[in-house]
Amino acid sequence: MILPDYYEFCCRVQIVAGHDALEKIPALLAEMGAKKPLIVTDKGVAAAGLVDIVVNALKEGVTIGGIADNVPPDSDLKVVNQLAGLYRDNACDAIIAVGGGSVMDTAKGVNIVVSENATDLMAFSGAGALNRRLKPLVAIPTTAGTGSEVTLVAVIKDHEKHQKMLFTSYFLLPNVSILDSRMTMTMPPFITAMTGMDALSHAVEGYYCLQKNPLSDAHSLAAVNMIHQYLSMVTKNPADKEGRLAMAVGACLAGISFSNSMVGIVHNLGHATGAVCGVPHGICMAVLLPYGLEYNMHKRRDIIAELLLPMAGEDVYLKTPRAERADKVVSLIRQMNQDLNVITGGRHARYFSEVKDRDGKQMVPRDVLPEIAKAALFDGATIYNPEDSDYEDNLLVLEAAWEGKPLDRSKIKKG
Amino acid sequence: MDLTNGFAFICPFKTNSGNKALENLPVELAGLNACKPLIITSRKLAGGSAIGTLKNAFGDSGMTFGVFDEVTETADLNVVEQIRDIFIKGQYDSIIALGGGVIVDVAKIVNLAVSQKVADARQLSTATAIRDPLGPFVVIPTAAATGMETSKYASLHGISFVAVHLMPDLVILDPRLTRAKDGKAVAEAGFAAFGRILEADVAPGKNPLMHAYAFTALRFLRENLAEAVTKRCNKKASLAVANAVAMSGCVISNTDQTVLHRLGKVFQNIVHVHPGMIIGMCLYPFLDDQIKKDRSLLSNLLLTLGGDDKYVFMPEDGRPGAALREIYEFSYEIYAALKGKMPPTIREAGIQQYLMDDVLEVINQEPDGAYLRTIIDRVGGSSIKA
Amino acid sequence: MQEIHAGGKPLKKAYVAIFLWFTGRAIQAAAKVDKEVKKEFDTLPDEFTFALGSLPNGPWMVVGKEKGKVKYFGGNLKCRPIHLRLVIKNIEAAFLILSFQESTALATTRNRLMTDGEVPYALSVIRILDIVEVYLLPKLIASLAVKRYPSWWPFGHKLAGRIGVYTRTLLGI
Ligand SMILES: [Fe+2]
Repeated sequence: MILPDYYEFCCRVQIVAGHDALEKIPALLAEMGAKKPLIVTDKGVAAAGLVDIVVNALKEGVTIGGIADNVPPDSDLKVVNQLAGLYRDNACDAIIAVGGGSVMDTAKGVNIVVSENATDLMAFSGAGALNRRLKPLVAIPTTAGTGSEVTLVAVIKDHEKHQKMLFTSYFLLPNVSILDSRMTMTMPPFITAMTGMDALSHAVEGYYCLQKNPLSDAHSLAAVNMIHQYLSMVTKNPADKEGRLAMAVGACLAGISFSNSMVGIVHNLGHATGAVCGVPHGICMAVLLPYGLEYNMHKRRDIIAELLLPMAGEDVYLKTPRAERADKVVSLIRQMNQDLNVITGGRHARYFSEVKDRDGKQMVPRDVLPEIAKAALFDGATIYNPEDSDYEDNLLVLEAAWEGKPLDRSKIKKG
Repeated sequence: MDLTNGFAFICPFKTNSGNKALENLPVELAGLNACKPLIITSRKLAGGSAIGTLKNAFGDSGMTFGVFDEVTETADLNVVEQIRDIFIKGQYDSIIALGGGVIVDVAKIVNLAVSQKVADARQLSTATAIRDPLGPFVVIPTAAATGMETSKYASLHGISFVAVHLMPDLVILDPRLTRAKDGKAVAEAGFAAFGRILEADVAPGKNPLMHAYAFTALRFLRENLAEAVTKRCNKKASLAVANAVAMSGCVISNTDQTVLHRLGKVFQNIVHVHPGMIIGMCLYPFLDDQIKKDRSLLSNLLLTLGGDDKYVFMPEDGRPGAALREIYEFSYEIYAALKGKMPPTIREAGIQQYLMDDVLEVINQEPDGAYLRTIIDRVGGSSIKA
Repeated sequence: MQEIHAGGKPLKKAYVAIFLWFTGRAIQAAAKVDKEVKKEFDTLPDEFTFALGSLPNGPWMVVGKEKGKVKYFGGNLKCRPIHLRLVIKNIEAAFLILSFQESTALATTRNRLMTDGEVPYALSVIRILDIVEVYLLPKLIASLAVKRYPSWWPFGHKLAGRIGVYTRTLLGI
């Protein structure tokens, strides 16, 4: 195990996991001196009946200060301010966020406003602007993917001023994250597949990126193991309680890994594809992950090879010659996409050319690839990728991922 | 790992480890909203040069900080009260503990006293409730660290406190400070960490988050402890050991498996030997019992200690035994390197009869006292008695 | 018990200041001779200004665009509005980076560098710094400092570029 010359690692969030983890919330709130939480969620989560399950679990010792289910899919400053008003009007003393990335971001934004008594959220944007504890925040993720229940970042958009505000601080971390199998049980197979691949991309990118360290590595290895073992299983059989819990824990482990070691070209190109074409993040991750590994192969072969045992288990490991272990990892991930594609009746995309919107229209036309390649140059994930990636490199990877052909590694510029 | 019964896990501290880690202190303190820290340390126990290095790390930050460097092995609540008074009068806003063992126990309790605004620290007792988060607290372990610095435990003269809030916000591991001066001390710290983590990691209730820390720390120790003991110039090996020792504090704060830990503690309190020495002795008999109880729990240990290839190429039923051999080799290398300076049995440690009597008396009061006794018997404890 | 007021590190600070001066001039020069650097600056808005320096009290280097030309503005943060700050956490880390023991990319992954401003701008500036490092340093050192040494650049490009950057740096043109 390699000890880097310098590293930092931090995950302060208390993790409470189980089939009945929600029932522990009242006691956890009491420990933090809170008893009147505001529940922040979105319409989809509420409609799926998940908020009801949470509310039922809160019965004892807790007064619910309000339930706000109007978080939009894209976090919004106006909503943040409105929810902060709700928090104050009802004299709440904690926030419970139930949902995915946007709900978590919104809850973090509300927490800044109510804790700092902020009128202008912008004043707290950037790194290091927050320097004291905020109000208790309990995160309940409803997808096993984003890892935002353990990340210290929040993105809030000001749609009026067309501004995106980025907040980074350890004080934004939730105090507690609740991983309860009931929260993901009703997730449809197609969503399960793509959020699961997002989680896998966190574990894998966290393992090969430049900021990797021994602790992020250990989290990645455990995550890769659980996600590879359970993702196809729960996509096929959504009511698999044990599988759902394992995926929730795996995604959380992956979230802890990448929030410390950062992510690379897969997220770099994925963010750009999302921004240019509106493709959901998880799909971008599923499509790009094998290509990101191939692109970095010449720099990270040995490191990628270490993922084989946790991913595939002993039999495959034994049968694979040492020199081919890293390539086997890539082909196993391709196989996962293939399996998920079959299980979801073709909805899970394997290549960009396969990604279609509701009306069956291609979401990533080939001619926008140059635009994506250019946009990717301005995404922060490029810093942490092992190999440099300029415009031509990005385009090379995107074209291969579009066609669904393995990357021609002889075309990668090597220093 | 079986997740059916659920689990909870927390590790509240951030770790900064490596080259020039100390120099980040001013920035880190600012992030904790602290600008005037009080350093609690000991000229005698932590050493003048360590204190000098820390002072220098404040560089051109323009910060003002206090240094209390008079903590001794026998420190008690009177010292805590003395420091509490200094803290209040000097209007400090955060605490930095430099060193290991008693220094950090004192610092944790000072932090408790000033954060909960007690009028007199001497009133603190085991019954004191610790509800809210305490003030900014940084631990900077030296090679003298025992592993408990980063844990939720603090104890001083028989008064003990347990609370997650006692754990530091930040742990800084700097190779200039973690370099071992004395091979035996490193071995003791390493053994203490190894044993405490091991017993948590072979227990049925372990969870994947704790295992991530356990895995990292055990492998670091397996790969670096012997090197750190024999080659004191190897900064990297000592830093890896210090990393593992710091992680052990997190692991022990998340487990209720504490057979080895308690054995070490009893001897530490009564005989005043390092708990690592006792844990090192008891490692093998303890694992021998575990293997009889449930072989599968030790199987994964081979993966942690031996790596992928050793694990995979060993047939399933040979793995627990191979794990034991790894541990045997691991301990043997260290005992051999210390050339008799580290006694492998209680008999060889030369612990006097009347002290052993006291030890056994305390152990008999533990709920699993009868079992603990069998371990002591096997490491030569009873033969003194006979 | 004693109370201490942290002193200074004048020697390290002086070294860092000299290298910031040198790097600042080199960027100004490279923007004239290198098309990659020029292209990168072209993507940045007019009057864009960035600063690179160390916490808590500097030294700093301010570089920016003025009427379409890239200029080194010295070490005073107040000399003009700054859109992006690349902040090194302490003077020791600044010394590591500016004595080329750690590249900007490596320093970022070691959490030594913080950016204050828009990420896309920061990435542009880091790319510029990388190219300038390739010019200023012999290949052996530069290939350690950057992720990928541009070995596909024709030899003449690098050599001519290096001489160009060097003379302009020293002459300040
Ligand atoms: Fe992601």
